[in-house]
Amino acid sequence: MPDVFISEEKTKSSKLKSSKTKPFFVEPKESERHRLPGHTHNPLAAFCYYPDFVRFVNADPEEKVVLLLRRHPITNLQWLVTAFLMLLAPSFFPIILPYELLPPGFQIILPLVWYLITFAFILEKFLSWFFHVNIVTDERIIEVDFFNLVSREITDANIDQIQDVTPRVVGSIRTFFNFGDVVIQTAASIPLITFEAVPNPDKVARILRESRIEEEQEKLEGRVR
Amino acid sequence: MENFEGIAPSVFTIVKIAVWIFLLLYILFAGVVIKQIRVMTETLEVGFEKQIKVLGIVHFLLAVIVFLLSLVVL
Repeated sequence: MPDVFISEEKTKSSKLKSSKTKPFFVEPKESERHRLPGHTHNPLAAFCYYPDFVRFVNADPEEKVVLLLRRHPITNLQWLVTAFLMLLAPSFFPIILPYELLPPGFQIILPLVWYLITFAFILEKFLSWFFHVNIVTDERIIEVDFFNLVSREITDANIDQIQDVTPRVVGSIRTFFNFGDVVIQTAASIPLITFEAVPNPDKVARILRESRIEEEQEKLEGRVR
Repeated sequence: MENFEGIAPSVFTIVKIAVWIFLLLYILFAGVVIKQIRVMTETLEVGFEKQIKVLGIVHFLLAVIVFLLSLVVL
């Protein structure tokens, strides 16, 4: 017997259901990528959705980078202030040290050595920020970490090994600038991968969730690489 | 007073040698930084490698210049 009356609620819920069955994660075309929110051409960006050019060690030729993340730029404020004070410090040398008592040669070399140390400090801090990245590809998540100038660590886990994703925004500064940690529990040998102080943690969590669903669909359809 | 004048130059000589040793070690450190930048850029490429390599080389050259200057001035 045909339905004479279908309540509005029912039609709404059926619409919702149909929208849920739509594929969540559709890879955008090359031309569409530039219009995506979060896509940027800035190589210093902390959040880049479908970056144009990213290559990393041990990448599969067919692997596509979905997301490139760094710590939020505001996290650099502390060392930037320190660097600024270090740059100003030589102006105060004559007040602090018995500068006139030093031979003229030392009066020239001392500030230069100080500026060299400052340069090294800035370079080290910048490099450790720039190269400490989290990458989400269509196949896995990767964390590249340079602790200092002489040690590095690369951790990765397959997308289908992700068990739980928790975005964590704690504190007023993090809430104001919308950045935080994304804690990822995996079934890989390293059970916990943390994307530290990344911008838009909720978006990152959503993208990871969508990637997982896409990966599961690929498995069901037998499209797994 | 004579004794103090006699001691002072030797103190500065020691400091001078210490500064040279420090700057030589600093040049070595700057070399390590260049090597590390190379390793980093091989690990990850995002299209900003050239500028970072230039920064590393500038840092190394500055270290060499300061060392040479210290040889002349001190």
